[in-house]
Amino acid sequence: MLLATLFESGVKIEHYMVLATALFIIGVFGVLYRKNAIILLMCIELMLNAVNLLLVAFSTYLGQADGQLFVFFIMVVAAAEATVGLSILVLLFRNTRSVDIRLFNKLKN
Amino acid sequence: MDALLIVFASGLISLFAAFAKKPWLVVSSAMAGLLAAIIVILNQLQTGKAFFDFLKYEGLLFDDLALVYSLAICVLALLIVGLGYERFKENPVHTGEYIGLLIFSTVGAMIMTAYTDMFMFFLGLEILSIPIYVMAGSNKTDIRSSEASLKYFLTGSFASGIFLFGLAWVYGATGTFRLWEIQAKIMEMESLSPILMIGVLLIMASFIFKIGAAPFHFWSPDVYDGAPHAVTGFMASVVKISAFYAFLKMFIVCFGFGELLGFWQNALVIMIIITMFVGNLSALRQVKFKRLLAYSSITHVGYTLLVFVSNSMGSVMELWFYMFAYGFSIVGVIGVGLAVNDQEDRIEAWRGLGKRNPFLAIVGIVSLLSLAGIPPTAGFFAKYIVFSSAWANASWLVIIALINSAISIYYYLKVIATIISPVESGQEKIKLSPLTIGVLTLALIGMLGFSVIVSWL
Repeated sequence: MLLATLFESGVKIEHYMVLATALFIIGVFGVLYRKNAIILLMCIELMLNAVNLLLVAFSTYLGQADGQLFVFFIMVVAAAEATVGLSILVLLFRNTRSVDIRLFNKLKN
Repeated sequence: MDALLIVFASGLISLFAAFAKKPWLVVSSAMAGLLAAIIVILNQLQTGKAFFDFLKYEGLLFDDLALVYSLAICVLALLIVGLGYERFKENPVHTGEYIGLLIFSTVGAMIMTAYTDMFMFFLGLEILSIPIYVMAGSNKTDIRSSEASLKYFLTGSFASGIFLFGLAWVYGATGTFRLWEIQAKIMEMESLSPILMIGVLLIMASFIFKIGAAPFHFWSPDVYDGAPHAVTGFMASVVKISAFYAFLKMFIVCFGFGELLGFWQNALVIMIIITMFVGNLSALRQVKFKRLLAYSSITHVGYTLLVFVSNSMGSVMELWFYMFAYGFSIVGVIGVGLAVNDQEDRIEAWRGLGKRNPFLAIVGIVSLLSLAGIPPTAGFFAKYIVFSSAWANASWLVIIALINSAISIYYYLKVIATIISPVESGQEKIKLSPLTIGVLTLALIGMLGFSVIVSWL
């Protein structure tokens, strides 16, 4: 209902596309440039949430439920991924006492 | 479906078998499950009937192609489980978790060969990837292993994020997630929408990430180097086979016609050239075994990507032959690397292998020749098939690939020269367990008699 009024009041699919792309690009740049591993994890979550937003917008626009169904799959998998990622970080923290990714350079030749 | 269920059940059994604190029990239940799956797949290929036919789900279709790819995946996973056992005799703490994760990852690989909609593909991709993030870090006290795990995790989940973003655009353009419906929708379109093009490019970028081709290859040397040997072997063989087939299937079925075909093929041709040169030229100056393997595998990804531009009907089977033959060679070299067991993982540690253990030396030499593509081995036939079918459509690309094969012979021969050089003082003979000998013999049969076995089937 709310979404329908929003569409009528001039929020078009293009707006959702721009917003989702902006969120996704913020996430990508975060992954590329931040140095704290926990923030990297959050940026990856941001990328996935941008995808969720885009899927839901397209799903509403096209008038079918497939996209919204996919969002649930993405959320479940993102939770699993975050679990594994955080446990890898705990493992690294035990070894180095830090989560700064600049310290993780033992594999350079 | 049968094989998938059997492998999944054997993964569960090996997880629970870990409570008995006996590594051999875990490993043998996993191997029994994979062996049963291989037999079931062969039976299904012969008779065309599946036992669990009533469990049909349209998103997961085990047709003949999916079955032969699952066969390759199960055989290679079986060999790698056999190789990994060596490690657990000394340190049996986490056998159950390790083997269980490896088997579940195999399940994901099989799902990725059989998907017909994007739901199943995405789930298969994540079921394949998430266990490997953990397995790469399974040497808990070794900081290099944890670092490899973090790097693989970050690049892997970044790649899945890019894939999903591309998929969302394709969904917006076509309104469906099923492969055949996407194909029908794109065929109906009069002109290609920019939304669809963005989606296709992003999906391609994520696949390039996953298979480790340039320009998105930078993670693979570090990850291959840091991960334990058996996990490196798994990543180089099983993961590559399933990712390649999923890539080929999606791009042939959904995007493999008309204007769109030329659009992504042009991008891919540039990546193939960069991949081959980057892999080869970096491999020339490597002194560590697993780093060399990583760069050589980047080069092989470049050769394999030629099947995407050949536009021939048989490209799916060519890919299968190439990746299966390549997987046997990887099992061979990884087996030698595990047996030599050098802390620093230097190639120099292979010196005098001919005297220290002649069998290992033979396996090592044959697998390196197979990687280089020298005639009697499977690697030669694989390369020959792929190059000759790409010749019709992209002959200049094949010439670049041949130049690269010639360069690559240099660094493979350097390792072979190290193997047959005389023993230095202080080097002991290497003893092998019967299981390792069995696995390496199978790999040797695979490398030398693969084309005979395939033509006989």
